[in-house]
Amino acid sequence: MNEAPKTLELRGVTKRFPGVMALDGVSFAAAKGEVVGLIGENGAGKSTVLKILSGIYQPDSGEVIVNGQPLRIASAREAFDHGVAMVFQEQSIIHNLTVAENMFLGREAEFLRFGLIDKRRMNAATEPFLRRVRLDVHPARRCADLTFAQRQMVEIAKALTLDDRMSGRVTILLDEPTSVLESAEVRLLFEIVEELKQRAAVVFISHRLEEVVSISDRIYVMRDGKVVKEVSAANATIPDLQAQMVGRQLHHEYYREARQAAPTAQVVMQARALSKQGAFADVSFALRAGEVLGVAGVVGSGREKLAQCLAGHLKPDSGELIVQGDTRRVWGAYEAVAEGVGLVPSERKVEGVVTAFSVAENMTLSALPQFERRGVLDFARERAVAQQWVDKLRIKTPTVRTLVSGLSGGNQQKVVLAKWRVAGVKVLILDHPTRGIDVGAKEDVYELVRDMTGEGLAIVLLGDTLDEVVGLSSRILVMRDGGVVAEVDAAAGAKPSQLDIVRHMA
Amino acid sequence: MNDLASIVRAFLPLIVLAALIGVVAAWDATFLSAANLLNVAADTMTLFLMASGVTIVIIIGGIDLSVQAVASMASCIVAAYLPKWGAAAVPFALFASGFAGWLGGAASTRLRIPSFIATLAVSGVVTSAGYWFSSTRALNISDALSSRYLFWAVGTTLGVPREVWVGLVALAALSFALDLTSFGRRVRAIGSQERAAIAAGLHVDRAKIAAFTLSGLMAGLAGVVMSARLGSGSPVLANEFLLPAVACIIVGGTSITGGVGSIWRTFVGALILQVVRIGMTYMGVTVFAQQIVFGFILVAAVAVTMDRRKVLIVK
Repeated sequence: MNEAPKTLELRGVTKRFPGVMALDGVSFAAAKGEVVGLIGENGAGKSTVLKILSGIYQPDSGEVIVNGQPLRIASAREAFDHGVAMVFQEQSIIHNLTVAENMFLGREAEFLRFGLIDKRRMNAATEPFLRRVRLDVHPARRCADLTFAQRQMVEIAKALTLDDRMSGRVTILLDEPTSVLESAEVRLLFEIVEELKQRAAVVFISHRLEEVVSISDRIYVMRDGKVVKEVSAANATIPDLQAQMVGRQLHHEYYREARQAAPTAQVVMQARALSKQGAFADVSFALRAGEVLGVAGVVGSGREKLAQCLAGHLKPDSGELIVQGDTRRVWGAYEAVAEGVGLVPSERKVEGVVTAFSVAENMTLSALPQFERRGVLDFARERAVAQQWVDKLRIKTPTVRTLVSGLSGGNQQKVVLAKWRVAGVKVLILDHPTRGIDVGAKEDVYELVRDMTGEGLAIVLLGDTLDEVVGLSSRILVMRDGGVVAEVDAAAGAKPSQLDIVRHMA
Repeated sequence: MNDLASIVRAFLPLIVLAALIGVVAAWDATFLSAANLLNVAADTMTLFLMASGVTIVIIIGGIDLSVQAVASMASCIVAAYLPKWGAAAVPFALFASGFAGWLGGAASTRLRIPSFIATLAVSGVVTSAGYWFSSTRALNISDALSSRYLFWAVGTTLGVPREVWVGLVALAALSFALDLTSFGRRVRAIGSQERAAIAAGLHVDRAKIAAFTLSGLMAGLAGVVMSARLGSGSPVLANEFLLPAVACIIVGGTSITGGVGSIWRTFVGALILQVVRIGMTYMGVTVFAQQIVFGFILVAAVAVTMDRRKVLIVK
């Protein structure tokens, strides 16, 4: 353990959301001179930690201590001013400003001369920082003209400006910094991180375990909102870390494995060499009625974009998609729904439900023509059909006229599923269908997945956790860097271990 | 308790209207005579017709700034072509108006530009078209032509001015479309959460274009009725109507951020504005200063009714 003063420390930080324990007594610390790795599956709580550090959430209990002082962080800006800089994947660089303007955003006062910003002095002040991240661009360049990797370096350089003011008491958090970098860029980043740690504490958050092990001094493993293991990188092995991340054993009952249908012969959706520049390439598969096809992969593997593409929201550059025998010619959600393909989106409250609509109005939204009689909506039939689905899916709502905004996340998700059942879709794309819903509701969703495949629907599943993907799927496509790297069979009673899948992922 | 508050809020425009009528009646009791009230209603109808279609555009999450230009153009077409084409002039005026609305909707959806820019541009095009149709003059409509082809918009039936009947028919038809058909359901879904509407597989662009077309059509109808009332058509006939039209929609309680609203609200909003206008006249406020008051009313109404949770950044 490092003896230098800690620059950032979390003590027993707990954060609850309705039905979900996002963080459960999380403690960790980082000190000047070390790189601390933070790993965990999707949903383990890493992003909640970052959101607390950037002021988006406030912890329910526990303390965030920055440079020895407990701090309530109200915004990312405030964290930055106290010496905690976050380099996010979704970058905070403003594209239409220059490199120098981004570096000193909010600190222009230091460069005022007669009330005007002295651009030359600002540019000159920028240059040493750019040299430290070995970025050879002019400070007056617009950030929009830089590559993604260059903008990331600008962000790191911006974090370094803190160093001057805070005299070394700085923490730099790098969130998945390598996910879009080429290997040469990754090497450069690592060299820079090695230099950074001489003057600051670095927290390195990544899915890529080899990278975390090679760059970090210490590693924290998170699972289910807890830090389950703290290990020095020298003693860490990748299989061991994977086992820690995955944690619990599969239990067959949870995922209703006994009800897993054997795939039929009827192919309802077939992808042939689908490619989308910068997202995925050469993806082919055949999806059969009654089957759950899981897609596993880390952030940046291209699986989210693939799901959007299957649902018609995104047009691929090449390849073809055959839905129920017909090649898709026009790409749009409208066309996809007409073909019988529905999407249960990960952003439930933005894309899944219309929150200002009632339960019944949401359920019929994708099938309005069914409810029209001589041009007029048949409200009585709409409510009757909605009531049937409320009963069938055990949706907890006072009435079908209740606004969806008043329902819990799990019940909202059931409304989304009911919407697609009313529309009679044949293929359902489930994008993180259990994200942010409580355990009981999750089990209900699993039950519904089994019901649907039993009735002959075909499902493409992007699970919230690997556990879920393995438990629910009949077959699993493993994606990495935009390509399908493995196809693993997952028949009931013969499930692959999660390690079998993770092996291909990173 | 909570229910009472929400009921009051839902019917606030009606309460305000009643209060305003009370105030004006206290000034001059003859205001309350049936004949006078019917006159007030008749005077309100062109404003209501113009605003009725825009209401649907606002509920779907857009805005149509071309309506006053469209109404003026429609009046020019009627005045210019009634002598030549007779009855066909009116459908032609409505068709051209609907086309202008379609143009704004198509430009906004197909080219992905904000509707206020698209319809502002259309407004310019349509203004020029109005000048072209009228040969840049105000054109009179003879009494003979008016009584033959525009009889449905002037005079009275059952003692009620026919403009009011036209307005009531429009109120019923648009309320029907908005509240009882799947078109209306789509409009509300798109206006309250467009991304969810897209993901649900609604044909969002088609619904938006339909809403803009309807808005153009209603503006055209407003222009025709206006030309019938005034016995003339002119390329500037409906100038000064855009601000009150938007104001009466918002005063009625339709949300500028989309999703929420109804046609009856705009009807009541138009009456509120008309009563305010009359009240100002009683109090000696000059006609030229009245737009100032409407500007204040618009800003105040938006400030009161806007749901700021929906808009993080106001542009």
